[in-house]
Amino acid sequence: MEHPERPWTAFYRAGARAEIAAPAYRNLPDLIRSVAETYGRAPAFTCVLPNGMNGTLTFAQVDEMSDALAAYLREVAGLKQGDRVAVQMPNCLSFPVAAFGVLKAGCVLVNVNPLYTADEMARQFADSEPHALIIVDMFADKIPAATAGHPIPNIIVTRVAEFLPAMPRGIVGLVQKYWDRSVAPIQLAHVRLPDALAAGRAHVAEGRVEVDGYHQGVTGDDVAVLQYTGGTTGVSKGAMLTHANLILNMEQTMELIEGVEKGKEIALTALPLYHIFAFTVNLLGFYWLGARNILIPNPRPLTNLKRAFENYRITWMSGVNTLFNGLMNEVWFQDTPPRHLKFASAGGMALQTSVAQRWEAMTGRPVLQGYGLTETSPVLTFNPLGKTREGSIGVPVPSTEIACLGADGTPVPQGEPGELAARGPQIMAGYWKRPDETAKVMLGDWFLTGDIGVMDPDGYVRIVDRKKDMVVVSGFNVYPNEVEDVLAAHPGVLECAVIGVPDEGTGEAVKAYVVKSDPGLTAEALRSYCKEHLTGYKVPKRVEFRDELPKSNVGKILRKDLRAEALAQMAAE
Amino acid sequence: MVGAFEQALLALMIFVIMLGMGASLTPRDFWLALKRPYGLMIGVVAQYGIMPFLGFLLITLLPLPQAIAVGVLIMACMPGGTTSNIFTYFSKGNLALSVLMTVTSTVTGVILIPIILVIYATALELEIPRENIIITLVLLLVPVAIGMGLRKLNANVGAVTEVMGSALALFFILFIMISWVPRNWQFLLTTTPATYVAAIGLGLFGMIIGYGFARALRLHPRNARTVALETGIQNGPLAIAIIAFTFAGDEAQSYMAVPALYSLFIVIVSTLVTLVFRRANTAAEQKMPDSLL
Repeated sequence: MEHPERPWTAFYRAGARAEIAAPAYRNLPDLIRSVAETYGRAPAFTCVLPNGMNGTLTFAQVDEMSDALAAYLREVAGLKQGDRVAVQMPNCLSFPVAAFGVLKAGCVLVNVNPLYTADEMARQFADSEPHALIIVDMFADKIPAATAGHPIPNIIVTRVAEFLPAMPRGIVGLVQKYWDRSVAPIQLAHVRLPDALAAGRAHVAEGRVEVDGYHQGVTGDDVAVLQYTGGTTGVSKGAMLTHANLILNMEQTMELIEGVEKGKEIALTALPLYHIFAFTVNLLGFYWLGARNILIPNPRPLTNLKRAFENYRITWMSGVNTLFNGLMNEVWFQDTPPRHLKFASAGGMALQTSVAQRWEAMTGRPVLQGYGLTETSPVLTFNPLGKTREGSIGVPVPSTEIACLGADGTPVPQGEPGELAARGPQIMAGYWKRPDETAKVMLGDWFLTGDIGVMDPDGYVRIVDRKKDMVVVSGFNVYPNEVEDVLAAHPGVLECAVIGVPDEGTGEAVKAYVVKSDPGLTAEALRSYCKEHLTGYKVPKRVEFRDELPKSNVGKILRKDLRAEALAQMAAE
Repeated sequence: MVGAFEQALLALMIFVIMLGMGASLTPRDFWLALKRPYGLMIGVVAQYGIMPFLGFLLITLLPLPQAIAVGVLIMACMPGGTTSNIFTYFSKGNLALSVLMTVTSTVTGVILIPIILVIYATALELEIPRENIIITLVLLLVPVAIGMGLRKLNANVGAVTEVMGSALALFFILFIMISWVPRNWQFLLTTTPATYVAAIGLGLFGMIIGYGFARALRLHPRNARTVALETGIQNGPLAIAIIAFTFAGDEAQSYMAVPALYSLFIVIVSTLVTLVFRRANTAAEQKMPDSLL
C-alpha cells in the first residue's frame, strides 16, 4: 500500500487505500438511499434528552421521511435544483430528516448555528439567500428580525422532541412551554415539519413524483452544502462544499478508522451537527457505517450526557478538547467511564497532550486527533489507531498532500515550521460569491490553511499555531499552543489561553489567561512552573486569572476576543 | 384519611412514587455504592443515626402528648423521601448521591427501621406496631424493583415513570391539604406550639445537623448540600401510609398530625434551604461554553 512520495501511507491500516480515485456514490442522496437499503430497520438515530427520554428513527424511516420532505420542498414549496435551504436546529431527530431531505430535493443545505443572534442570522441569510428555512421552535422568535431585509418564503418549524413517542414528546413540550418558557408563540406564517412531511408524503404516495428524479442531474461537482466560516477572522463566508468533497472526505476519514464493525457501532454525537466536523464525521460517517447515532440536543451542563452513557453502550464518540476535559472533571464520569468505547476522535481545536493522556488513563482507550478546516470538508490529517504520535495531528488522509510553505509560498526545508497548505479532493469549490476571498486562500490548487505546522520526515504533522496567533518576542517566535500545553498540565489550572500583547521592551510579550481549579494558585507560582518547562522568552510575562474564558460555539477558546480586551485595557491605561 | 377510598388512593400514590424511585436506578448505582461504601455509611448514619436521635431529643425536650410523640418518632425513623431528589436537583447538588441515599435508606430501612423504632420506643415508653411497619417496608421494595425493570425495558417508560413519581410526591402535599387539613382544622388551631416546633424542627434541624456532619467529614460542599437535604427530607407519605394502615379512627388522626404537618412544612423549609444552596453553588460550577449546543 505504500506510496513512493507519500511515506505516511505506511502507517495506514492494512488494506487501506492510499488513493481514493473517485467517490463511491454519484451524489449524497445516492449514498443516503444506498445505506438505508442496506440497514433498513436498524436504528439510525436516537435522540437522548437529559432525563433519558428518547426517540429513535430507523434507516428506513429517515429515508422515507427525507423523501417526503424533498417532495414537499419541490412540489409544495416550489423550490428548484440548486436553491438554498437553511437548516437551523440543535442535534435532534429532525436534523437528519431535514439535511437529507434538502439534499434529496437537489437543493443546497445551509447549516446555521441555532444560537446565532438575529443580526448574525440576517447576515447569513442575506448572503446565502435561502428559499426555505427549517428551524427549531425555540429560536423561531428571531425570524422576524433576521428576515426583515430578505424575507424567506417558506418557513418550516420543528421542535427538539420531534418524532419522540407521544408521552415524552408531550412532557417535553409542556416543560418547554410552561417551565422553561423557551418556546414562544410563532407569529409568522409557517408550517410544522410533520405537516410538511404529510403533504410531501401525499405526493410520493400517489406516485405523482419520483424523488430520485429531483437529484438526477446533481453531480459530484455540484455544491451540496454552504458551510459558513470565518467567525474567528471577522468576515463570515460560505465555503461551497460539493457532493464529491463530502463523500470523499467521509471515505478518506473512514478509510483510516480501524476496528469498527459496520452496522454494530453506537456513536455518541454531542457536538453540534451544524458544525462541519460533526456533519461529515458523525452525520455522514456514522450513518454510512450503519452505526446507531446517539444525538444529544444540548450537552451543557455535561450531566446531560449521563443518561446517554448509562443507557447505551457507546462504542465511539467524537469531541473537542473542551468536551473531553469537561467530562473528566465530572464525578459520575470518573466513577463509570464508558466501558465499551473503542476510541474517541478529536478535532475542531488543538487537543492538549495532558487531556489526551488523562483520557487514555481514565477510559483505557485513546483519543485520536485529526485536523482540518471548514474549507477542507473538514478532515486533512488523522492519527491512525495504535500509531498516534503525541502532540501530532497525524498523517494526511488518502489522496491528500500537505506542504509547509514559507512566507514566499515555496516549501520550507524539511522539519522547519511553515504555513500548512493542502491539496486533495476535499478542498472546497471556493467561497460563495466571494472570488476575492477565495483567491486569498488558494495558491494554484493548494489551499492555505493559515496554520503553522511542522512535518516529520515520515509524514506526521504537528501544528505549531495559527499564523495570526503567533507571538514575536524580541524576534523569537512563540506559539501560544506550546505555552498553553505547559500551563494546562499544571494541576491547579482548569483552562488557559495565551496571547501576545504589545510590549515596549520586547515588541510583543506573552500574556496568559488562566481559570484556576486550585484557588490558592498564584501568578508567581505559575510563572516559576513555566520557567522549569519553557525557555525564558516563552514564559508568560503577565498572568491574569479569570472565572471563565470566551469561547466559540464549539468550545474553542477565542484568543481574538482576549486580544481585543487586552488592547482596549492597555489603551485605557 | 379514614375512608377505604382514601386508603386505596394513598397506597396507589406510594406505589407510583416508589415506582418512580426505582425507575431512576440502574444496577450500576448499587455497584457504585458498594465501591464507595464510605458515602453509603454517611447516608445510613445520617438517616438512622442523626434523624431518630433528633426525634428522640424533640420528644424529650418538648411537652408533647403521647399520640403526637408517636408521630414524631415514626416520622424521624423514616427513610429519605423522593422529594429530596427534586430539591437536590434544584439546589445543584449531587443528584446521583441523593438518589442513592434515598434508595439505600429505603432498602436498609427494612431491617434498620424496626430495630431503631423499638429501641427508641422502649426508651420513651411508646407503643409501636412493629410487624405492620416491617410488612409495609418490604412491600415498598416491590414497586422499586418494578421501576428498575421498567427503566431497563424501555428508557422512555422509565423516564416518564420517574417524572410521574416526582410530580406525585409534590401532588401528595395537595392531597394532605384537601384530605387531612379540613378534618383536623380544629386540632390545628388548638394544638400546642410544641407540635409545630417538632414538625418543622425535624426537617430544619435535620438539614443543619446533616450539613455540619458532612462538612466535618470533609465532603465536597456539593455532596454536603446533598447529604443535608437528604437527611432532613424524610419519606412523609410513607409515614402517613404506615399510620393509616395501622391505626383506625380518631386515633389515626392525631398520630398522623406530625407526619402531615411535617409533609406540609418540609416543602417550605426545603425551598428556602435550596435557595441558599443555589447561591452557594453558582461560584463553584464547572463553566461550559455558553453555546456548546
